[in-house]
Amino acid sequence: MGDRPHAAQLVEAVREFIEAEVLPAIADARLKFRVLVAANALTIAQRDLQIGDELVAEEIAVLEKLTGSRAVGTPRERSTALSRELARRIRRGDVPPGALETLRRIAELKLRAASPRYLERRS
Amino acid sequence: MNEAVETALRDRLAELFGSGTQLVRAALLGGGASMEAWAVDVETPRGPLALLVRRAAGGRIYREALSLANEFRVLQAASEARVAVPRPYGYFPDVAGREAFAMERLRGETVGRRIVQKPELSAARAALPTQMAEQLARIHALDVRSLPFLPGANDEAPLRRSLEILEAQLDDVGEPHPAIELGLWRLRRDLPRDEERVVCHGDFRIGNLMVSDAGLVGVLDWEFAHVGDPREDLAWPLVRAWRFGNERQSLGGIGDPEPFLERYAQLTGRRLSIGELRSFELLGNVRWAIGALTQARRHLAREERSVELAILGRLAAEVEHEVLSLL
Repeated sequence: MGDRPHAAQLVEAVREFIEAEVLPAIADARLKFRVLVAANALTIAQRDLQIGDELVAEEIAVLEKLTGSRAVGTPRERSTALSRELARRIRRGDVPPGALETLRRIAELKLRAASPRYLERRS
Repeated sequence: MNEAVETALRDRLAELFGSGTQLVRAALLGGGASMEAWAVDVETPRGPLALLVRRAAGGRIYREALSLANEFRVLQAASEARVAVPRPYGYFPDVAGREAFAMERLRGETVGRRIVQKPELSAARAALPTQMAEQLARIHALDVRSLPFLPGANDEAPLRRSLEILEAQLDDVGEPHPAIELGLWRLRRDLPRDEERVVCHGDFRIGNLMVSDAGLVGVLDWEFAHVGDPREDLAWPLVRAWRFGNERQSLGGIGDPEPFLERYAQLTGRRLSIGELRSFELLGNVRWAIGALTQARRHLAREERSVELAILGRLAAEVEHEVLSLL
């Protein structure tokens, strides 16, 4: 199953097609806006496929360090379980020391996939 | 489907404006699963009118949003109090099976990015901070007792109530967001005590204001009106997401907050510094972070399939980042 183009390359091909051929053909401003949003969604998907594993691994590492807990399952299940535990603790008023710094780090990790330009503007 | 709506509109508008009223054009503008917007031109016995008709679309509306009947009543109250709003013409309980109301169709710009960027709107941008303050002052002077159906009308502690609602909404999202929880935790600790209860617009910001070359011509989108703390409305247009890329001008990307707060203080006696509003700016960001996630849930739960709603689930990370930067 290593045939190419693989998922990230397919997503990139569709996004390039939209940008090069679909967008210039659209006259309606509202439709054009939605197609731009769709292209942006594909860009996020492409970054998820390219760097998502690395981002989730780091998120798990910093959450384990902060909470002192371990979770089992796939990386995404572990990240969700650790986040859920931390969210519940904060809701109860039990905020672990260093939570703000850890959550800032995680926000940056999320933005590297979802909105790297926003991250650049803010830092 | 659209024909049935047109036929019903023709009847309702003739009842409203008098027999002999002709429907010239009815065009469905955008709209989501819960609400339609129609641009309607009519020729009445007293002349032509450009109308905007909002009609329920059957989908589940947002929790906390007013019904169209109540939104119309708020619009009437605002219009009577000389708030700049589209003139409300009539409420119709049944337009092809769903409720609707007709109001004046104002001309101008509502798209936030264009209001922030367009060179020909530079005079409008200069005028907006004080104009926004003048409108908010009038809204906050509306008689709470005359609008008893508003959410929060019977609540003595609207800020506590806001936090409880936000917690419930975040729980409904169904995925953990510890960054937002940390914002809520700080708000439970730091949010000032409830002081005054006024009629709040609930979504007063660039993007919901109709703007012409001369500035503000109409305050739109009243479905989140409620009784609450005036400081919620004052801080909401400062939220970074409503600066539309012009981040240095913290009042909606169009100006500085000082003249806005100064004019509001002159008119209402409520003198607030940007520092005093900081907790409310945090509250606004927490609210929008949860709002963005909630809208993405509409897509994920198949209540309203839309790539625009879907992507908000990921762009919420920007708002989480802002929440943390305010802590």
